[in-house]
Amino acid sequence: MLYMESILLLTKKYNEYTIITPQIRDIVPKSGIENGMVTVITKHTTTGVTVNEALECLESDIEVFLGRLIPEDYPYSHARMLKDYGSTAGNPTGHLKSLVAGNHCHFPVVDGEIIMGGAQDVYFCEFDGPAHRTINVIIQGGE
Amino acid sequence: MFIDIHVHPAFYEPINTDPEMEELRHNTLDIHKNGTASLEHIFNQMHCAGLDYQCLLPEDYNTRQNGRVLVGNQEIRKLVNMAPDKFIGFAGVDVYDAKACEKLEEAFTDFNLSGLKLHPGHQHFYPSDEAARPLYKICEKYDKPIIFHSGFSWEPDTLTKYCRPDIFEELAATHPKLRICLAHFGWPWCRETAMLMLKYPNVYTDTGALYFDCAQEFYLQMLTKDVPLTWIDRSLRHQVMFGSNNPRFEQIRMAQAIEKMGFRDGTLDLIRGQNAIDFLGGLPEGGRS
Repeated sequence: MLYMESILLLTKKYNEYTIITPQIRDIVPKSGIENGMVTVITKHTTTGVTVNEALECLESDIEVFLGRLIPEDYPYSHARMLKDYGSTAGNPTGHLKSLVAGNHCHFPVVDGEIIMGGAQDVYFCEFDGPAHRTINVIIQGGE
Repeated sequence: MFIDIHVHPAFYEPINTDPEMEELRHNTLDIHKNGTASLEHIFNQMHCAGLDYQCLLPEDYNTRQNGRVLVGNQEIRKLVNMAPDKFIGFAGVDVYDAKACEKLEEAFTDFNLSGLKLHPGHQHFYPSDEAARPLYKICEKYDKPIIFHSGFSWEPDTLTKYCRPDIFEELAATHPKLRICLAHFGWPWCRETAMLMLKYPNVYTDTGALYFDCAQEFYLQMLTKDVPLTWIDRSLRHQVMFGSNNPRFEQIRMAQAIEKMGFRDGTLDLIRGQNAIDFLGGLPEGGRS
């Protein structure tokens, strides 16, 4: 059995970290699935889905770390006109930060509840905002 | 004050209720995979770029598109009405439309739009052609500026021969009170654009070009090498306006890049805002269009 629902976000900043744990917790019971797995996966290639502790200091450290690892001022090959878009690709850092952050996460569902560690939260990471974004939440398992 | 003089709203949600028209816009402009944008998103984008206002440009090639207007004056008026504190609206007409003059009069009187946008490359006319002259008279009558596409155009069915900067000289010379913007700096003929601006104070340009590399790299080439920075900073500082040509190009990164070129602060203020205000003849009162 499989159940899917989407979370829609309108991000406001170039780089932005949004906790989406409450939305995921709301979706899981709607699936009717008692035991299985939940997958949270972004539909985009310049965003990330990652799990970490929801602390302001860590959000800052993650942003600074990614900025140091993947600086804006670097001669990326992706900085060019893309013919099938008809527009300039100015978002190589978004693609590379997405690579580091990953695009999905999984959690077990037991007795209809998502099982997460006490310090764990799910972040949606915007690396090329502002933008309209979609994250799919997929629950697979049995009743 | 920070104004983007060159924005195309073809994919704004409020004017995209017809999927067939949306498809026509994608194909005519050759812009794809971008979807449509809510105004809330546009405002977020403007905020990230630090923009106060942006000029919305229509696109009317109806004599080449079975009478269909790609983005019309009424749609521009509608968008401006939805955010008069952020949007400035321009009019558009097809030069070969039998009702072009009538439509332009209506755009200035009934819709109170702030200027005229023409694309000679897409509309297939030379700036000095007889067909366009009545439109220039109307702009002079109402003291409205004209933004011309100039230089290379990515759009299909466009011919560069109608857009070389030097072919605008006759218009600039014979209509000294008509303010004209040769958009996109006339790229790749940026020095021709600089030459015209040097000679004719009624000629302006905008920075809406990003055909290679990233915004900062392209601007460094175009605004400090193709045209040496000192030419702009010393001699052309009152005639260059910030323009992004969004959604073709990246408004936020271009807005950030223009600050890093090395212009004097005073020049940067002119490029970011005051030159656009002068070009427009002031910001419109009671809603900015």
